[in-house]
Amino acid sequence: MSLCTDRLLAALGPDSVKTAPEDLASYAYDAYSADHMPSAAVIAQDAREIATAVRIAHECGEPIVPRGGGTGLCGGAVPTSGGVVIATNRMRRILALDIPNRRARVQPGLVNFDLSAAVATHGVFYAPDPSSQKASTIGGNVATNAGGPHCLSYGTTTNHILGLEFVDHHGNLTTHTLDDAGYDLTGALVGSEGTLGMVTAVDVRLMRAPEAVRVCVAAFPNVESASEATSAIIAAGIVPIALEIMDKLITSAVEAHYHAGYPADAGAVLIVEIAGMHDDMDRTENDLARIAREHGALAWRAARDRAERDALWAARKGAAGAIGRIAPNYYIQDACVPRTKLPAVMQAIEAIAADAHVTVGNVFHAGDGNLHPLLIYDRRDRKQVEAIVHAGTEILRTCIAMGGTISGEHGIGYEKRETLSLVFSTDDLAAMARVRATFDPRQLFNPDKIFPSGMTCGEVKAQALA
Amino acid sequence: MIAPARVDFDGIACEMRDSARAALGGHEPVYAVAPRTPEALAAVLARCDAAGATCVAIGGDTLQSFGNAPARFDVAIHTDLLAGILAYDPRDLTVSVAAGTTLRAFADRLATERQFVPIDAPHTARGTVGGALAVGWVGPRRAAYGRTRDLLIGSQVALADGTLACSGGMVVKNVSGYDTSKLYVGALGTLAIFASANFKCLPLPQARRAIVAPLQDESRTSALAHLRKLSVEPTVTLALDGFDEADLGRNALFLLFEGSEAVVDRATRETRSALGAAGVASASVLDAPQSAFQRVLDAYVAVRATGSLTVRCTGLPTTVDERRFAARSRARDHGCSAETIVDANTGDLIVRFTRPHDLPEIASALLADLRVEMPSATVIAGTPASREAVNAWPNVPPAFAHMRDLKRQFDPHDILAPSRYVGGL
Repeated sequence: MSLCTDRLLAALGPDSVKTAPEDLASYAYDAYSADHMPSAAVIAQDAREIATAVRIAHECGEPIVPRGGGTGLCGGAVPTSGGVVIATNRMRRILALDIPNRRARVQPGLVNFDLSAAVATHGVFYAPDPSSQKASTIGGNVATNAGGPHCLSYGTTTNHILGLEFVDHHGNLTTHTLDDAGYDLTGALVGSEGTLGMVTAVDVRLMRAPEAVRVCVAAFPNVESASEATSAIIAAGIVPIALEIMDKLITSAVEAHYHAGYPADAGAVLIVEIAGMHDDMDRTENDLARIAREHGALAWRAARDRAERDALWAARKGAAGAIGRIAPNYYIQDACVPRTKLPAVMQAIEAIAADAHVTVGNVFHAGDGNLHPLLIYDRRDRKQVEAIVHAGTEILRTCIAMGGTISGEHGIGYEKRETLSLVFSTDDLAAMARVRATFDPRQLFNPDKIFPSGMTCGEVKAQALA
Repeated sequence: MIAPARVDFDGIACEMRDSARAALGGHEPVYAVAPRTPEALAAVLARCDAAGATCVAIGGDTLQSFGNAPARFDVAIHTDLLAGILAYDPRDLTVSVAAGTTLRAFADRLATERQFVPIDAPHTARGTVGGALAVGWVGPRRAAYGRTRDLLIGSQVALADGTLACSGGMVVKNVSGYDTSKLYVGALGTLAIFASANFKCLPLPQARRAIVAPLQDESRTSALAHLRKLSVEPTVTLALDGFDEADLGRNALFLLFEGSEAVVDRATRETRSALGAAGVASASVLDAPQSAFQRVLDAYVAVRATGSLTVRCTGLPTTVDERRFAARSRARDHGCSAETIVDANTGDLIVRFTRPHDLPEIASALLADLRVEMPSATVIAGTPASREAVNAWPNVPPAFAHMRDLKRQFDPHDILAPSRYVGGL
């Protein structure tokens, strides 16, 4: 065992510190297809244990890899350079609930879904709802600035975080809130993918549950027409709570698995949720249905009750899992384009997939322009692997060419760090590197993530201080 | 005494201005320049950095009362030539705007497409987008629509070393790289100077209605409690005591509702009923809600010629009325009058202290006492002598060491608005 591991064990004990290979194997990967063994995993009981673990790892020069639910899709929690994984699974309490002021303080390991479930009886909810919400944690959501279907109207995680407690590279616990005088450190930490510090408590904003909610499903002949309808809805100045598209491949798989009532024979379905006051529901639905029909909708219907709404959403959020029925493996891309570019980008994706002889399914947050093409393959076939990697890169290049970006909500992580330089200039990245150099001068927090590999520790520092 | 820095701006696309008109906190700069392009802005900063000349960006000069006077002030950088809408496809509900664009011009352009970005800053005819971002202005509608930083989806800034750096983009969901834009918002130009900003736009509500009612002390608590139970939440709930620049009467409740006609009608009915139950009988609907709201926003930073100091105290909505009471007590302790704006939605308390003739002499002690109970109290406006007598900022926040390190990384020679910000940043 290393000096670092010995010190961790001495300070925190074997209940919190795991070093056996069979224990560490669980912390070697996340939902991305890469795995690297850490030298130790700390399953922290509280913020003080995280602070101790960070201090020891930092003093020993070991990488520190924060980990929430391990559901990240771009390798953000993979200890690619080894080191110490610090997991928050045990820190899942709501520390304070302030309903009159609509806020809560929670531990980072609290599962997203459990937060909204716990506060629902008070007539409030936590808005960000990534599809992984039954397993992903608030801390992980903070790290990636997670989104979800309902972010169209409510905004992403960063719009719902009021403050953070975090451990810096020295192992010191500190806090920052949006009401503090001084720089918006909360804004910088959210979405920094564990590269600036480790979050140990989160102040979240809760929202008042709407008086009325309606979920509607429209059937379209193809993805292009559904995309055109989406662009037209946004262009008409209607911003529903959620506006999602699933193509035929995905809808069929979802319906076969969940039996939620989606029209499995449609070329694409558009899921629209509106919420607000009872007074607005009929008029807004009528406007939406009219625009949908003008763009080729074959059918339109509203869910009858809450049970049907929940079933539709459960099926939509389980789409990636349902793909397991039709393919051994899939590679999910994440990119975002201006909303008017949706029809063009969907055509381009179809052409890229055809050229690469790859089957692609589409399930995405259409209202935000946030795409999630699922490239289906068999990882045992090297040619198929090469084909999906090539197609994935081409899709990202296409999105960038259309004024978009390479990640809307999954993050850059390990997977896309080389692609980041397609979006940002060296000067842009150097400004970001200054932030990194401020918080983590030795580059020990989650190394190999976000920044292109060419920007090594020395180069980042040199650029930051140049 | 440090000799004024000499800077050569030859070859940079900028206009030289009268430096005497750019004085700030008693300091008159040596130079005043107005860059014509973002590249020119960056070039100006590069020359200043090389010469060790300190810079302060000036937009519409409407919110320069934020922050302390700079420790040194060599170069005023006017941003008014960096103006205009840079990219706007209304169908995308996103817009890119140059930093020197006035808030009114920005709002007017968006309004032609029935869209808006709720920045809610005062003096929009002169105030600029970059200025509102630099001071981190937060308006009363943020509980409904989010803070300005929540609608900021990207930016281009000039850094002290003369580089131009972008973050974010023109899409509404973006987790590509650090969200550095947020660090520059509210940094008072001490980390970088905005060249342009990209925003997510919102559709203008179909209807907007302002309701005003007199609010006496005996019915105040009951009225605010009843309003919290409304099924249609007002986007603005303000209780003003004083601030007659708003032209709403001495003690006024100001409510703004936004939404569909049906919802706003329902809100009006429910509000009249709730206020009636609280003993407030005469709620009236204002004819021009937007201009009434703008008058209120302008009043936030209005000063009394005889001497005033205005502070913002943030806190929880449920404690805002208690804080108002405490602020008025501290004012009495120091022989001052206190006018207040209570924001029941956000928890903001605005207090304007007045005392004819000698406010500067007691301002520092008054503020020190106030900050015992309200540590967040931050000066946002005041007569020059009163502002110069106090530290505009509260005590440094817990994470100040990281802020100081950030300043060193972005501005190692301390040329950007030195000592303007909290803790001497």
